[in-house]
Amino acid sequence: MVIRLSPQLRAGIQRSTLPALILLSAAIVVVGKTDQTMFETFRTGLNDAASPALDVMARPLGAAEAALDRVRGLFGIYQENRRLEQENARLLQWQQVALKLTTENRQLQGLLKVVPDRAVSYVTARVIANSGGAYVRTVMINSGTDGGLARGQAAITGDGLVGRLTEVGSRAARVLLITDLNSRIPVRVEGSRTSAVLAGDNSERPRLLYVPAPDGVKIGDRVVTSGEGGVFPPDLPVGVVSATGGSGPRVEPYVELSQLSYVMVVDYGLSGALPQPIPPMARPGKRGKAASTEDPQATARGAR
Amino acid sequence: MALRDFTAPALPRANSSAARVVPLLTTAITAILAILPLRIPGYAALTPAIALMAVYHWTIYRPDLLPPLALFAIGIGEDLLAGSLVGIGALTLLVTYAAVLQFRRHFVGRSFPFVWAGFTLVAGGAMIGLWVLHCLLEFSFINPRNTVFRMVLTIAVFPAASFLLGRTQRALVDGPRPLRDR
Repeated sequence: MVIRLSPQLRAGIQRSTLPALILLSAAIVVVGKTDQTMFETFRTGLNDAASPALDVMARPLGAAEAALDRVRGLFGIYQENRRLEQENARLLQWQQVALKLTTENRQLQGLLKVVPDRAVSYVTARVIANSGGAYVRTVMINSGTDGGLARGQAAITGDGLVGRLTEVGSRAARVLLITDLNSRIPVRVEGSRTSAVLAGDNSERPRLLYVPAPDGVKIGDRVVTSGEGGVFPPDLPVGVVSATGGSGPRVEPYVELSQLSYVMVVDYGLSGALPQPIPPMARPGKRGKAASTEDPQATARGAR
Repeated sequence: MALRDFTAPALPRANSSAARVVPLLTTAITAILAILPLRIPGYAALTPAIALMAVYHWTIYRPDLLPPLALFAIGIGEDLLAGSLVGIGALTLLVTYAAVLQFRRHFVGRSFPFVWAGFTLVAGGAMIGLWVLHCLLEFSFINPRNTVFRMVLTIAVFPAASFLLGRTQRALVDGPRPLRDR
């Protein structure tokens, strides 16, 4: 059935569409900001749906970069080989030290009856999208609950901590990078053994907050996860303190966050320890069980 | 052809119904291009706002093929995929569309530097507006450094985007002109 509209009415509707949509967008922004969980279902749904397409589109980029790398590698091959030989010699020495220390450590732990750390397993996923823009620092990866991922798990690379999973769909998940404005990670400054919170502010170098004795923090100190809260495994390398004073200490992350291609998601077997959102209707008995796609709320998340 | 005398500034007919979706398609593609993971240091934060360029171009030359509702959908989709605050992208695209539509008659048929200058104003306004909005929403002073760099990059990339969009438009969208105009 076709509804016939008078030309005046049609013109009126056409004129008011644009202002109405602008107002609607503004309203969505405000509502989405106040209740950050509102669009979660849409987000994970669309991310899941778009994941295969984004994956396909990201692949040629990866291939092109690999080809460029190979060409670039050809030029410096001799120097690179020399450097690697030297590094290898140095690392072999370190290996001996590490083996000796491991044995010693195991013996001492045996003597002291130390409770062993939980076994950690990893899921490797490819980065298929990032957040173009100056106000968010996230990446999307091509694995989700199907791959065993859950909200709150840590994403790392071989170099160190990348961020934390904030939205997990069945085939895609979003990683909130440690530089994002809403990222807060409990860390420890090695050396002085002080605990602090690593807070992103959208700049390349996140800040250290709540440092009990800021004078004890020196430039060059290593920063690792503290494992407090039980969400992250302890001692994941995060970065080094690169500035002190002024607006407080800042940390240079070990990972080059703008050049991520693969990340490993750490399953510490403890994602239930994260304050899992409880659906307002049905409050399940087991909090840890709830998979993140079923959670309309995200108390663990920051603003996004 | 007598009618043409009255509708002279009107837009030419599109080539075909397939051509009519080209403006929306290119806008959607630019929105997706912006989130593809290019591994250039610092790129993610400074990605030029290419969707803004597409909206600017098509609003000037073919506003008839750029329905606000579709822009809204593209903006929302972009927000959801990029992980930014939902609605921000849609708001940016729609406000840009509305603003350019107001002044489009000044831009049609003008030389490229003039169009580029117009885009500088639009992009500058959009970026500063976004920065203010984010500062308000986050209740904090966000360092404007990235915003400024992104603005400069966006303005600098515009000629290339404009060239490609113009070529696409001539090849696919605009139908053959009536003999009188040639």
